[in-house]
Amino acid sequence: MTLLRLENITKRFGGLVAVDDVSLEIEAGELIGIVGPNGSGKTTLYNVISGVYQPEEGRVIFEGKDITSLPAYRRAPLGIGRTFQIPRPFSSASVRENVAVGAMFGTLAGKVSVDESLKIADHYIELVGLQAHQDKAAGTLTPTEKKLMEIARALAMKPKLLLMDEAMAGMHPRDIDEMVKFLKKVSEEEGIAIVSMVEHIMRAVAGFAQRVIVMHRGAKLVDAPTAEALSDPRVVEVYLGRPSGEVKHASGGEP
Amino acid sequence: MKLAKYYPLIPVYVIYLALFLIGKSMPGMWQLVAMLAFYCAIGQAFNIFMGMTGYVDFGYVAFLALGTYGMALSISSFYQVEGLGIGIIFIGLVLAVVMASLLATAVGAVALRLRGAYFAIATIGVNEGFRYFIEGAKIWGGSEGIIFSGPLTEAFGREMASSLSTFWADAAVLIIAAAAAFITIHYMRSKIGYALTALREDEDAAKVMGINVTKYKIIAFITSALFAGLIGAMAWALKLTYVFPPEVFDIHYTVECIVIVLLGGAGTLLGPVVGGLIYGLFKYWLTVILPGFQLLIFAPIILIIIVAFPEGVVGVLKRRVKGTALEKYIV
Repeated sequence: MTLLRLENITKRFGGLVAVDDVSLEIEAGELIGIVGPNGSGKTTLYNVISGVYQPEEGRVIFEGKDITSLPAYRRAPLGIGRTFQIPRPFSSASVRENVAVGAMFGTLAGKVSVDESLKIADHYIELVGLQAHQDKAAGTLTPTEKKLMEIARALAMKPKLLLMDEAMAGMHPRDIDEMVKFLKKVSEEEGIAIVSMVEHIMRAVAGFAQRVIVMHRGAKLVDAPTAEALSDPRVVEVYLGRPSGEVKHASGGEP
Repeated sequence: MKLAKYYPLIPVYVIYLALFLIGKSMPGMWQLVAMLAFYCAIGQAFNIFMGMTGYVDFGYVAFLALGTYGMALSISSFYQVEGLGIGIIFIGLVLAVVMASLLATAVGAVALRLRGAYFAIATIGVNEGFRYFIEGAKIWGGSEGIIFSGPLTEAFGREMASSLSTFWADAAVLIIAAAAAFITIHYMRSKIGYALTALREDEDAAKVMGINVTKYKIIAFITSALFAGLIGAMAWALKLTYVFPPEVFDIHYTVECIVIVLLGGAGTLLGPVVGGLIYGLFKYWLTVILPGFQLLIFAPIILIIIVAFPEGVVGVLKRRVKGTALEKYIV
């Protein structure tokens, strides 16, 4: 069954159309890359899916249920987890407590006690390799550690769909390869569909995604299997501009 | 393991017991103990909301005021009812809790949808508004308030009435403070505490993590308010045997709550107790050595402490004991 379906989503901010009539489908367990230059509407799309924004038009369907007007806090228990572009740890709480919050209020909400949540947290902290830091206040972690902590926190929610926002930005290429391997493994083992959004690190997309969605100026430009999408001339144009001689307008500059 | 989560109550209860014993055994100390108990208690009650959620309620004293009115109304209305006896005190406590919680629900349902500073501004109005409502509409004695020392004496006899006011009211404040400490640690160790920490640190992220932030804020708000109601009923109504609107709605008390919580350490269990003791002792001492000047001297000292130790005394202490055997007692 289709896990998530967006039907003609449009989100405006005043006169600016941030997301323009976007429809897409995500199957359970799929690995998807969303790419697009800065300002192409990727983060807004995430915010519509996770319930931070309500779209002006269109519907969000999760597991066959219309969740368009559901508040954000009621979507997490259905199985929508996410990480943020700039990590948002609960700074004064320890890493262990942060991750336990994920377990407590995610799809297991109401089914696990605090102690059980902390055990689940231990499992995911080990999985991302933060055992040595588990009692530290999350605010004191390095940026990379914060990202790992957020991934552990989101995984502890036991989501069906995990939205990752620039999780690999600023990482060393070797770490990116490792992260890609890790995400693929987690997706397979836990049956999570993972959507990874990146601005321009194609290395992270090419190795990770089965399918790539390219956003440009709020609209969906390309939605195709990875190899096909990345070699699509329109995608090349979005990132590199047209070959000289054909220039009609500059494509790089986004509002 | 189950019991271990309540270990941090030990230092708090040791302090309260010591206060009680000092007050009982040393002549002339009871009034000081009563004052310290009051500051510890309002600190703890206030901390449940401000410390745990990061929201500042400038109208907080209105909950104490309503608690005071609850007790005053019970005693002044039911003192002639035969056979109620000590029951009128219990009715007063119930009224105090109900009235404070009702106001908290009403204010919370509206104002807690506002963020940070907007919430603080909205709550200032609640306190002043309520006071002028009572005075203007002439309910509950209007601007003259309610004096019920007569009814209290009539209901209990001179001796019992005096012991209610001069001993039991203060002892009850210590018990209320102890109960507030218990609820605080219970919240901290449960889902509620995790939700409150999350929303205090990042409300939007908390929502996306599945936390119904408004619900948890209201839980903390009502809990905090009902303890304020109980404290008002005991420390103000039963102790003073009168209620007078300008006194019980004085925003000064809200400011004292804020100072106590910040001084001791917001969001910690032991913090408001330590803050209450430091504040109370200091205020008492300044009143003795420099009567009339205490506020002038107090303000800069508090500023310095808050700038130098933004985590409060217990916040600093907590960091110091991290990794030692004391860690599980200082929370």
